[in-house]
Amino acid sequence: MPGPFAWFIWFVGLLCEATVLVCAYKRQALRRYFLLNLYVAGLMASEIGRYYILIEHGFKSLQYRYFYYYSDAILTVFLYFALSTLYTHVFGELKAEKYVKLGTILLLAGTALFSYSVVVQSSAKLVTHFVVELSQNLYFVGLVLTYVLWAAILKLRETRTRLVQIVLSLGVYFSLLAANYAIRNLYPGLSAYSVPLVQVFSTFLPLAWAYAFWRLPEDARLAPSRLAVIPR
Amino acid sequence: MSRKLAVVLFVMVVLVAAMGLKTIVTTHGDGSVMMAAGSAPAPPTPWKAGSAPAPPTPWRAGSAPAPPTPW
Repeated sequence: MPGPFAWFIWFVGLLCEATVLVCAYKRQALRRYFLLNLYVAGLMASEIGRYYILIEHGFKSLQYRYFYYYSDAILTVFLYFALSTLYTHVFGELKAEKYVKLGTILLLAGTALFSYSVVVQSSAKLVTHFVVELSQNLYFVGLVLTYVLWAAILKLRETRTRLVQIVLSLGVYFSLLAANYAIRNLYPGLSAYSVPLVQVFSTFLPLAWAYAFWRLPEDARLAPSRLAVIPR
Repeated sequence: MSRKLAVVLFVMVVLVAAMGLKTIVTTHGDGSVMMAAGSAPAPPTPWKAGSAPAPPTPWRAGSAPAPPTPW
């Protein structure tokens, strides 16, 4: 069973996720960032499901493992679609919604195809391998997409503070996870520290989004010069 | 039409970049999985039955050329 620290972080994470939904509701941002909030709601539901399965079947049970990784894959797809809506927000004035949707579907299909081609060679537990592989690949796609979006924000001189905060927090979140994963692979001896760190990092995203919804009004704007200085 | 082609190109570039990044990150990997959504404690992957530590892969010992995998 997990130790007291893991339980504490888990509880804090759940609390942060609930805070996001409450803040979004109070600030009337539920519909505007619908997929983001849907992701957080799904995250909360899966956390509660994981809790009950862990209590019922134990930490190392197959039930908990399968539920954990399958729910993780579904949530990754949710997060991917939530990220695509941020593209819609940023490129809204360019009337590029149709192209964002096309790109989203194509990229998801390409990632799924790539994941399938990787796992098709392992005959055992094909579906489970595929689900986990797709989930991991989507994380890396999300990481690259977030950096591309940040570059677009700089280029277009996007000034909506809340949107910038949401995109930046997503970038930091993806980067922290990827860095942690890389360190775990490079130095397996550090996995005693790097694996629990994933739990801590997971509380960062809901915390940052709750802050964005609560403290930053939708009409708040950044001064463009604070985003980037472009020499002429 | 050119915009749609640009979208296709963008998708391909992102996919290549993401998979390239993943390959770099997992070059020295032991097959562990990157798990992230939620703050629940992460269990071992479903196909690692048991809690015994994973042994080193057979093709790391010695400097002989690596044979093809048994499967």
